[in-house]
Amino acid sequence: MLKIKDLKKDFGEKKVLKGINLTVNKGDVLGIIGPSGCGKSTLLRCINYLEKPTSGMIILDNKEITNKDNLANLRKKVGMVFQHFNLFENLKVIDNIILAPVKLGLLNKKEALIKADELLKKIGLEDKKDYYPRQLSGGQKQRIAIVRALIMNPELMLFDEPTSALDPEMIGEVTSLMRQIAKEGMTMIVISHETNFIKNFATRIALMEDGQITLEGTPKELLGKLKKNKVKDFLSKVENI
Amino acid sequence: MKKRLKYIILLILIFLLTGCSHENHGSLTVVTEAGFAPYEYYSGGKIVGIDIDIASEIAKRLNKRLIIKDVAFDSIINEIKTGKSDLGAAGISYNPERALEVDFTVNYAVSRQVILVKENSLITSSKTLDGKVAVQLGSVADTYLTENRPDLTIVREKKFLAAIEDLKDNKVDAVVMDELPAKKLISKDIKILPEEIMSDSYGMIVKKGNEELLNVCNEVINELIQTGKMDEIILKHTLLKENKGENNIFNKFYKTVIYDGRYKFIFEGLKNTILMSVGAVIIGIIIGTIIAIIRNYHDETGKLKFFNLIAKTYVTIIRGTPSILQLMIIYYLIFKTSSINIVIVGILSFGINSGAYVAEIIRAGLNSVARGQVEAGYALGLNYRRVISYIVFPQAVKNILPALGNEFITLVKETAVGAYIGILELTKASDIIASRTYDYFFPLILIALIYLTITYILSKLVDKMEKRLNNAKN
Repeated sequence: MLKIKDLKKDFGEKKVLKGINLTVNKGDVLGIIGPSGCGKSTLLRCINYLEKPTSGMIILDNKEITNKDNLANLRKKVGMVFQHFNLFENLKVIDNIILAPVKLGLLNKKEALIKADELLKKIGLEDKKDYYPRQLSGGQKQRIAIVRALIMNPELMLFDEPTSALDPEMIGEVTSLMRQIAKEGMTMIVISHETNFIKNFATRIALMEDGQITLEGTPKELLGKLKKNKVKDFLSKVENI
Repeated sequence: MKKRLKYIILLILIFLLTGCSHENHGSLTVVTEAGFAPYEYYSGGKIVGIDIDIASEIAKRLNKRLIIKDVAFDSIINEIKTGKSDLGAAGISYNPERALEVDFTVNYAVSRQVILVKENSLITSSKTLDGKVAVQLGSVADTYLTENRPDLTIVREKKFLAAIEDLKDNKVDAVVMDELPAKKLISKDIKILPEEIMSDSYGMIVKKGNEELLNVCNEVINELIQTGKMDEIILKHTLLKENKGENNIFNKFYKTVIYDGRYKFIFEGLKNTILMSVGAVIIGIIIGTIIAIIRNYHDETGKLKFFNLIAKTYVTIIRGTPSILQLMIIYYLIFKTSSINIVIVGILSFGINSGAYVAEIIRAGLNSVARGQVEAGYALGLNYRRVISYIVFPQAVKNILPALGNEFITLVKETAVGAYIGILELTKASDIIASRTYDYFFPLILIALIYLTITYILSKLVDKMEKRLNNAKN
């Protein structure tokens, strides 16, 4: 479904991605782990062109993403959830959710409102639909940000450290929503420091170090290799934080 | 939103076009500086004086309607050279330098340049003239002293009244100026020395090569002199007495505001100041928004390189040069040949000026919105236009509006520069009144209070707006 071939990204002199090759199949939940500064976020942002790759290919549904038309299409198909939620501060919860599908003509306003209500009910926040983002807790904001991405009916969802800006007691509500979505068959790429969550949740895990993917496999395969690999150090380090 | 913008642009266009249609073929435009009694001064809301009487005789002979324009003295030659006015009549003395630029008529009055000093001064003649001497900028006394008396420190004031004020306050030791107006100015402690420092003859000026007008002017002037009418005119304006009265605040107020319908200047000045501020702020917002969007779009997408360069150059030039120079360049170079209404020139010039500042205000406002807001918009598939109009702009407004309010307050004061090309705004109104009451202090304070009132009200409104926007946020 998603193929990344020899993807490179430089910021001036600094080479952040040094040739990434990655395949994600339908229904995969790919967890990407690695130390900070290794390029995880940049990789994720390159996938939907928030950062323009320096070279390499991104192929979604057998179509290479290069020109502008493709780009708009790509972003409709790929949902993104940010570390800092990025709900639109000037819009109410309900308007945050329906803005894009209505403006892009995916749904008319009536349909969008009905679907938004359904999704809000699903996460138990239907009473918050006329609130502004500033009136919500971090966990509520992130769940609404997920709903905002879901209403677009994406084929792939990118999660950029979705729980790392949350207070510990709110992490659970977000991870359980993610599990629920995964169970429904959504293809996902997740960057997270919640190693336990990743271990139990992801169908595949990739370890990134210094702009490259150094290890990849199912959690079981990876755990097998852990004993003789520094991944263990890293994982345990993260767990100890 | 779009529709409203269209209407505003349409209104401005109509405004400009009606302003342009002021052209008059059956008229004689005379340019002067009406603060030089008895040659030209305001009385009963009109410009009158020796020069004006002569000019109206000339207009009568030409069978044309007389239009009088009041500008700064040092702009008069420019007005004639660029053809914006036909005839310059402002007690202009002949000198060879000026004669290279414009043609002079025959002399119609002889002016004696005299020395004014304080009653107790040690200066008794041109020989003992020493120290600091005040003159009117660009006047014959200025030219003469600059060339012949390098030993003096010359203080050049825009108005000879200001020169007199300098003398009263002991800022200078003497004033050198024309005898006729000087006679009207001597107060208790100021005297005119009997010896003249030089004498000079006044002529009117026309554009170089305009023989036809020059001949008619000479004809009329010669006739006036021969028939003795010239003496009558000079006498009439010299003997005109200003209402003196007691020197208390009520009388000062009466003299400044009520007597001779002087409040009309203040109202007219206030009207033009407000008109220019409002007009300029509208143009400024239109230009500023366009420039800010171009620059933001460029920063965001890397496109529109050429337009971005133009926008950057515009902001650099406008912010890097004084607004008074921009006004003069627009008036004397760009609108050189058109007889456009000067208030409109003011609106355009201040609007173009303000546009640069507004552009930076809006740009800073757009940049102040958190980066994540923009990225979330893009990630949902929204394009630049939608991200800006639904997400960024509504959030930027709370930073932009108060700053725009402050820009408007600055603009109100900035329009005072308009006096330089002869726009009757508040400071010009104060100048005109001062030139009749011979009292600079009171009109200046009065005008300052008017400015203060306007800006105070505006800043209160800005405060209120800021509070409301902040409340909406919390």
